[in-house]
Amino acid sequence: MFTRTHYKLERHTIGFAVAIIVVSAIGGLFEIAPLFTIDETVETAPDMRLYTPLELAGRNIYIREGCYACHSQMIRTLRDEVERYGPYSLAVESKYDHPMLWGSKRTGPDLARIGGKYSDAWQVAHLYNPRDVVPQSVMPAYRWLARNKLRTEDLGRHLIAQRRVGVPYTDDMIAHAEQDAKAQVDPDSDNAEGVSERYGEATHVRAFDGNPRDVTEMDALVAYLQILGRLTDAAYQNKDKGE
Amino acid sequence: MISGLTLGERQTAVCLSLALLVLGVIFAGAGQGDPLGVHGFIIAAYAVVVMGAVITGYYAPAPGADRLTQYYDDPTKFGIIVAMLWAIFGMFVGDWVAWLLAYPDMTFDAAWASFGRLRPVHTTGVIFGFGGNALIATSYHVVQRTSRARLPDQLSPWVVLIGYNLFCLLAVSGYLIGITQSKEYAEPEWYADILLVIVWVTYFLLYIRTLARRQEPHIYVANWYYMAFILVVAVLHIVNNLAVPVSLTEAKSYSLFAGVQDAMTQWWYGHNAVAFFLTAGFLGMMYYYLPKRAGRPIYSYRMSIVGFWGITFFYMWAGSHHLHYTALPLWVQNLGMTFSVMLLVPSWIAAGNALMTLNGAWTRVRDDATLRFMAMAAVFYGLSTFEGSFMAIRPVNSLSHYTDWTIGHVHAGTLGWVSMIVFGTFYSLVPWMWKVERMYSRKLVEWHFWLAMAGTLIYVFAMWNSGIIQGLMWRTYNDGGTLAYSFVDSLVAMHPYYIARAVGGFLFFLGPVIGLYNILMTIRLSRETAGTGIAEMPVVALKAGE
Amino acid sequence: MSVEKRDPHTGYLTTGHDWNGIEELNTPVPKVIYICLGLAFAFALIYWLLMPAFPLGLTYTKGLLGVSQHSLIDADLQQAQTDQQTVTSKIATLSVDEVRADAGLMHYVRATAVPIFGDNCAACHGIDAKGGPGYPNLTDNSWLWGGDADAVLETLRVGVNDEQHDDTRVSQMLAFGRDGMLDRNALLSVVTYVQSLSKPDAGTVEAIGAGREVFAANCASCHGEKGAGSIELGAPDLTDSVWLYGGDTQSVFNTVYNGRTGVMPSWEARLSDVDRKILATYVLSLGEAGQ
Ligand code: HEC
Ligand code: HEC
Ligand code: HEC
Ligand code: HEM
Ligand code: HEM
Ligand SMILES: [Ca+2]
Ligand SMILES: [Ca+2]
Ligand SMILES: [Cu+2]
Repeated sequence: MFTRTHYKLERHTIGFAVAIIVVSAIGGLFEIAPLFTIDETVETAPDMRLYTPLELAGRNIYIREGCYACHSQMIRTLRDEVERYGPYSLAVESKYDHPMLWGSKRTGPDLARIGGKYSDAWQVAHLYNPRDVVPQSVMPAYRWLARNKLRTEDLGRHLIAQRRVGVPYTDDMIAHAEQDAKAQVDPDSDNAEGVSERYGEATHVRAFDGNPRDVTEMDALVAYLQILGRLTDAAYQNKDKGE
Repeated sequence: MISGLTLGERQTAVCLSLALLVLGVIFAGAGQGDPLGVHGFIIAAYAVVVMGAVITGYYAPAPGADRLTQYYDDPTKFGIIVAMLWAIFGMFVGDWVAWLLAYPDMTFDAAWASFGRLRPVHTTGVIFGFGGNALIATSYHVVQRTSRARLPDQLSPWVVLIGYNLFCLLAVSGYLIGITQSKEYAEPEWYADILLVIVWVTYFLLYIRTLARRQEPHIYVANWYYMAFILVVAVLHIVNNLAVPVSLTEAKSYSLFAGVQDAMTQWWYGHNAVAFFLTAGFLGMMYYYLPKRAGRPIYSYRMSIVGFWGITFFYMWAGSHHLHYTALPLWVQNLGMTFSVMLLVPSWIAAGNALMTLNGAWTRVRDDATLRFMAMAAVFYGLSTFEGSFMAIRPVNSLSHYTDWTIGHVHAGTLGWVSMIVFGTFYSLVPWMWKVERMYSRKLVEWHFWLAMAGTLIYVFAMWNSGIIQGLMWRTYNDGGTLAYSFVDSLVAMHPYYIARAVGGFLFFLGPVIGLYNILMTIRLSRETAGTGIAEMPVVALKAGE
Repeated sequence: MSVEKRDPHTGYLTTGHDWNGIEELNTPVPKVIYICLGLAFAFALIYWLLMPAFPLGLTYTKGLLGVSQHSLIDADLQQAQTDQQTVTSKIATLSVDEVRADAGLMHYVRATAVPIFGDNCAACHGIDAKGGPGYPNLTDNSWLWGGDADAVLETLRVGVNDEQHDDTRVSQMLAFGRDGMLDRNALLSVVTYVQSLSKPDAGTVEAIGAGREVFAANCASCHGEKGAGSIELGAPDLTDSVWLYGGDTQSVFNTVYNGRTGVMPSWEARLSDVDRKILATYVLSLGEAGQ
């Protein structure tokens, strides 16, 4: 029966193409669409904060350099991972991540909770040459990050694009994007206060690479690393949200 | 190759490359101070090269009307050579990054030469550059022969090839200068993604127009697979690449989806890029060249049907096996796992159908390295799909995920299956295309086969070992019930396997180098004999003027 | 044109088509394939019944077993905790010295501590805990903050100069040169003087004499009259040959010119009380072995 029907289908190019589309579309519709409709999929976290412009720039450097090729940002619900890396990752923790950086390979350790684990100075030294601090490391040395000045003049546009895809940046944040990026590495500047006002008291305002005068790519990347896993405390709280 | 084009086609070609040039110049101007500007220059330079090529051949005599009684094979020839060049490039970079993991200081203080930027150059170079060109080139050949129809026009096959290679070039050069979306196997940025959509629509129309002209009432299995490849990749590509650019003068964009939805979309894409790019397309290739070379009928038409629809339906559910134990809801993971297990059956039907087709031709497999390539490919296809379904089972994946085991699985599939089927195909196809009796050197084909076998086995065994050791070390507990090894302990344990892999990879890399030499020498041979060697393929009369 | 033929090799009929020389046999699908497909589907069906599986608009089928990913892992972690209860509660109640006296417990401590140290501490203090530039050696019995168990435990709990912890230990070596507190001559002489504390022949008598005065006026408040350091302030002993940032002239000059603010992260939020106690015990036992 089936063979006979198929025997006929084989004679119709368009029919065959439509059949392929229909048959192949089912899986995706069943698996992707409900992720937008089932509330339980993403937990609620009222304390969730946004990336500052500097951290967002750092995230873009993380993407640019391909750190995700070696580092995951997803602690799985397995005992050994929780014991090694900390509480398992929740969906809400990456709800503002466009795109997500969960990763698929761990040549290096998971970084989902790296924020605050080491000092800025260590991060800088490690990125400058990993083998200076971890002799066994196979991670590349990222010396140019210390040399390159961060491009800041377009950060406002970045926040606008982020808002278009659903991240709730305010007009105030967008207007001050460049200023905030510069101020975040210079705790003594007049604008430093504004960063904490807009992004919360928990925001790190520090000279990440040790030099408050220039905003380097190193500043941005370290600022990003130091915030990983610390946008919300949801994962540390008692979870009773089911899935 | 320009001489094959009619005058009108040559004019359109010049216009199209001029349009591309203008686009490149606009990008170069508008994107100043942004990496987009660099891409503008690359596009412009590419357009100039294409235009130059067309203009150089512009005044060649126009082809006669008898061209319409022959198949149009120039694009296929071009695609074969380009695919081989990408193979050499991509595998060279693959081996380079393999060495980098063993000796990380074997680099210089340049951003482009760091592992994180080179790795996608490798994956894109081999999957899209090598695999994609091989698929496009062979699909042109197969669809014409199995339809007994000529390609409907002579320009769109070139638009597809030229546009597609521009996409690959933008992708690869982009990673080196820091342009990437970070979505695995979909890294190119928005404008390259749009280019690929245009190319792909042209490709689909070309394919379907050729099929519409067919003299054969039924569409052959190989075309089912090529069609699935074209159609589904289009859908996957468009959905997964939805993004909002920062501005039209900047390369950077932000993906439309975030977090868990983005992860699911990405791996729905990622897994099915494997399924419809690295599997369906190459199954199409196998379904034509393997029976052709073996001189045997396909073992079972009915198995072809069950296999094809099983693969098309089940694969699309399986993507979530890349996200086991993550923040993706468990119900999706469970669907991914169960469908991956069921997927094994149609996969083995396809592999089994190929191997059973060889019944009655096993002595040829023994004697003919070309056919042996294809037979081995079918075996590795069966092996890697078995492995894949096994790794998709949650508890197994808890061990294998994030480790080199995945890398081993990947290369069992890509070296053992994808590359071998392509090499087998090319060694069959090249003499047909250039109308000589056989490849320049059978011995070199034999060498290539054994290098590929040795390389694949060394690579895969090294990664199985390292992956499983890694996975076990991460979760080994000592008597007291606490973790027994630190992460760096596992890193140190990987070192010997990384060296072994790089050595195996080097052997494999030698293969396409030899292969390209052999192909070029075959072409020279054909020039010397002026293509008078018999064509293995009967040139079937086509209805002229169509 | 579809004329079915019989394949001499397999004995099956072809479908009668011919695509550029390729034919297809009409071989029926072997039974075993249907069996496998049935088995795989049965497995899937059972799994779907027992576990969460299909979406239903705003919710999904929860499965008869009623498990969720979080309930599974939370039970796992709970179980792990229970399994270790006997040892960990012992370690929690005993003092560090008592733990060190118990050979059985020490075996456990070492086995446990090495990987935890490797994953958390080795990045700075080295896999062998011998430190490196800027990161103290933990095996040399020369302690910035004191070498008794309580001091080490406290350092681990609150960290040093770590803004994450409200009670963090605070210590800072001022930037005498950069901030213009000392001129170049004073700097050079005090550097020579500091070096002479552990290496008497480090410089000329005059330079050392001048340096001694600078030191008394600027440095003694933290490092003590004799330069023996202060455990309250975390100021290092400058009279021993143990250097945190290096004892060569350039390094000492850099230290005094730019100042130093070493950051040791606090581990209270990251490692459990017992884990920190295990680490402290382990670290202290290293010093013993090194003696
Ligand atoms: C070739 C693979 C590779 C790449 C690419 C890579 N890393 Fe690593 N990374 C490692 C390895 C291996 C380690 C473990 C050894 C060590 O600490 O250096 C590591 C460790 C780290 C650590 C310390 C993690 C911990 O918990 O101890 C951080 C932070 C880090 N990498 C950040 C980055 C960033 C940021 C990038 C990109 C700019 C990057 N890595 C790129 C391999 C890599
Ligand atoms: C980011 C780097 C870093 C990491 C990671 C780190 N430490 Fe430290 N540690 C330091 C620095 C820097 C100091 C010196 C602080 C100072 O200047 O007073 C220090 C000091 C100490 C001290 C006090 C030494 C003394 O002489 O009093 C102990 C004990 C110690 N660390 C143990 C540990 C243990 C155990 C871990 C892991 C759980 C660890 N450290 C992880 C950087 C680090
Ligand atoms: C406010 C207190 C304070 C004063 C005043 C002070 N120091 Fe320090 N000094 C410290 C602290 C705290 C450290 C350890 C810094 C660290 O661990 O990062 C230190 C470290 C040092 C070191 C590095 C030791 C090593 O092992 O590498 C030297 C050398 C030194 N001080 C010399 C001096 C000299 C010379 C002066 C006076 C000109 C001086 N200090 C004044 C607090 C002080
Ligand atoms: C000379 C042969 C090759 C060598 C030496 C090689 C080497 C490598 C290396 C070192 C990696 C990175 C692994 C890691 O991050 O740990 C890699 C990844 C990859 N390679 Fe290859 N490769 C080769 C051929 C191929 C071919 C022919 C293909 C495809 C047709 C391919 C597809 C891939 C893919 C898809 C990945 C990414 C895997 C993942 O992310 O899980 N490789 N390869
Ligand atoms: C039945 C068929 C298959 C199934 C069920 C399957 C399943 C899997 C699974 C479970 C993973 C690991 C995911 C993870 O833990 O991250 C994986 C990874 C991968 N597989 Fe397969 N596989 C199949 C066939 C193939 C074939 C034939 C190829 C190549 C030609 C292939 C290429 C890949 C690649 C490239 C990855 C790496 C993806 C990444 O970047 O993480 N697979 N596959
Ligand atoms: Ca991957
Ligand atoms: Ca893309
Ligand atoms: Cu997959």
